[in-house]
Amino acid sequence: MITRFITEVKTKFNPFSASARSTRLFLSSLPANARNQGMKIDTKLLPRTSADPAVLQVKFSVLLIEDGKEMNLDGAKLGIKGIIEEVDRHSRFLQKQADLNDG
Amino acid sequence: MSARLNCSSARCVGRVIKSQTTNSLSRAAPAAVTLHQTSISSTRHYAVASRAAPLALGKLQLPEDYVPPTKPPTARRPETRKSQMIRAYTALLRSTPLMLFFQHNNLTAVEWAAVRRELRRALSEVPPPVAGPDGSVPVDITDSIHFQVLRTRMFDVAFKVVEFFDAEEAAKQSNGYAHDLSKSAYEAIQAADTTNPNTAYAQISPLFNGPVAALTFPTVSPAHLAAALKILSPSAPDYPAPTRRKNPGYYELAAQSGLQKLLLVGGRVEGKAFDYQGVRWVGGIEGGLDGLRSQLVYMLQSAGLGVTTALEGHSKGLWLALESRRSVLDEEQNPTKKEDGEAPSS
Repeated sequence: MITRFITEVKTKFNPFSASARSTRLFLSSLPANARNQGMKIDTKLLPRTSADPAVLQVKFSVLLIEDGKEMNLDGAKLGIKGIIEEVDRHSRFLQKQADLNDG
Repeated sequence: MSARLNCSSARCVGRVIKSQTTNSLSRAAPAAVTLHQTSISSTRHYAVASRAAPLALGKLQLPEDYVPPTKPPTARRPETRKSQMIRAYTALLRSTPLMLFFQHNNLTAVEWAAVRRELRRALSEVPPPVAGPDGSVPVDITDSIHFQVLRTRMFDVAFKVVEFFDAEEAAKQSNGYAHDLSKSAYEAIQAADTTNPNTAYAQISPLFNGPVAALTFPTVSPAHLAAALKILSPSAPDYPAPTRRKNPGYYELAAQSGLQKLLLVGGRVEGKAFDYQGVRWVGGIEGGLDGLRSQLVYMLQSAGLGVTTALEGHSKGLWLALESRRSVLDEEQNPTKKEDGEAPSS
């Protein structure tokens, strides 16, 4: 997964619900030094009884300029593969822009 | 025969032959015969043994269905790492009443070391248990609290074995093997209804996804739990993180970045599933299980006191009312006496 362009990840989930699985896996797929590189990761846990769906918000930037793109991903519907695909799709687009600016 | 008994190795045989030959130096011809004879007798001895072999081995031969007691039959190959992991996890689950589950998101080895160091330090500051009224000092569990990464799939299987496999029931069956890797255990977890929401397994199993680590306590000790929560999952009013002045190591970069990646997802207390709020509640119980018991005793005692006073209250009130009425009537009946009594005073 390309995580270079992600600036902010906001999650909210109930770990006791099976639908939170892909959201949790997304958190675990972020690199070890993500926070050191300026990514804001905000996780909120819901109590066990709550039936709210898992929330996953991802914000992007390119060349440290706020890209403004904000994704709301539904983990239960997409699955972890779907989430990564969605994030990567936009990241590749940003990568292309960054390369053009570079060259 | 005696030569065979005395020496069990080839070196000894050589020694015997040498001694025989020294004898043979003194008595030339017959000595050679004796030497010859010993060798023959020894071969004869072996020959006899080999001829007797079918009989002796027949006695020694193990029955077809013999099972060595240290290697009971298993449903999966016991020597694999996974099988032994299941055994370790079932033992852990059976012996650990209090377990916290953390999601760990890509912690580096340095961060793990820092987190464990801070945890150990906080736990060592918990006061040791005091002696009970009968003089027995409970075991200090500080050194037995471990923070270990779980292999979630194997832990899941082990959890099923602990939850759905009744070993005592299986031991009564004809095949009789009731260990955790046995076929009866395997069949029990295959037949179990794992989706039934009333079982502890169905409640906890969603947690075992992704990277999960467990903090295991050998007893339910809220003091230790609170100390661990203050480090691993601090929250402002009840479980404040240690101050920078008191514990500068906690604010090291490695420790902080490791702790940011740890996420308390839930716990298992006395076989029941608890979310993070429940775990915090357990950490807030003062004095542990004994504390809860004493609270209950106090509640029951005070309730009894309340009942007796409530029951007494009415009769007391009645008695007071009647008594006051009597005094009033007495005054009405002989007011003169009082007046008389009052007159001299005035």
